[in-house]
Amino acid sequence: MAEAGVVVGEAKTPSDFLKSIRGKPVIVKLNSGVDYRGILACLDGYMNIAMEQTEEYVNGQLKNKYGDAFIRGNNVLYISTVRQQ
Amino acid sequence: MGEEEATVKEPLDLIKLSLDERIYVKCRGERELRGRLHAYDQHLNMILGEVEETVTTVEIDDETYEEIIKTQKRSIPFLFVRGDSVILISPPLRS
Amino acid sequence: MIAQKKGMQANPSHLLPSELIDRCIGSQIWVIMKGDKEIVGTLRGFDVYVNMVLEDVQEIETTAEGKRITKLDQILLNGNNIAVLVPGGKPEDVDGTW
Repeated sequence: MAEAGVVVGEAKTPSDFLKSIRGKPVIVKLNSGVDYRGILACLDGYMNIAMEQTEEYVNGQLKNKYGDAFIRGNNVLYISTVRQQ
Repeated sequence: MGEEEATVKEPLDLIKLSLDERIYVKCRGERELRGRLHAYDQHLNMILGEVEETVTTVEIDDETYEEIIKTQKRSIPFLFVRGDSVILISPPLRS
Repeated sequence: MIAQKKGMQANPSHLLPSELIDRCIGSQIWVIMKGDKEIVGTLRGFDVYVNMVLEDVQEIETTAEGKRITKLDQILLNGNNIAVLVPGGKPEDVDGTW
């Protein structure tokens, strides 16, 4: 498998992904089903996340807004890029 | 002062910048806390002072099946929050 | 060579689970989470915790009201709540009932 350099080159590891989305709009979904939309400021190895201009959505409805928000990584189901229109 | 923003290199810096400020903490179990951050560690264990705790419960009416949302508030002068119950922390708005 | 022999003794299938996932990079994969959630997408990469980067994702939630599908561009899926991985994606004729 080691000689298949092309495959390895194409692979996008979690850390590559995280580098590529800093400062970008993201959706963070928690295990509870709550969504947070905002600008990703930074994150660490525990998937702790700092976000700006954060909006909290419960069942698709806007429930809260936070200027800055820290989300504890253990609650995170996924971090998604926002589909460009 | 303007350099504060630049010092947020990792998520926990956001908490460091909130020391001695009033913060909002969303916990598991529909529990919310608003209080002054006195101390924290890497697990997000926290010491908060002058805390207002809000607990939200949803009950279903036996007859109409309507959801009844109840919020209970109480003041606690000083408390310790165990980090594993923390979902989200929001510092006060900077202006 | 010695290391390889040791590995073969410990794992007679000659294929580590992580190697199987590695072979799925670039292909469709079906992820069944703990709880009533499934995710289908193209695998781009993963790490030692099996956190996964997925592209052109469908998130399928099964609730009392029925299925809810959310489409997402590219995600980092936390490996923590993954139960099962199925290489090749989700077959059309599987509707989630057993």
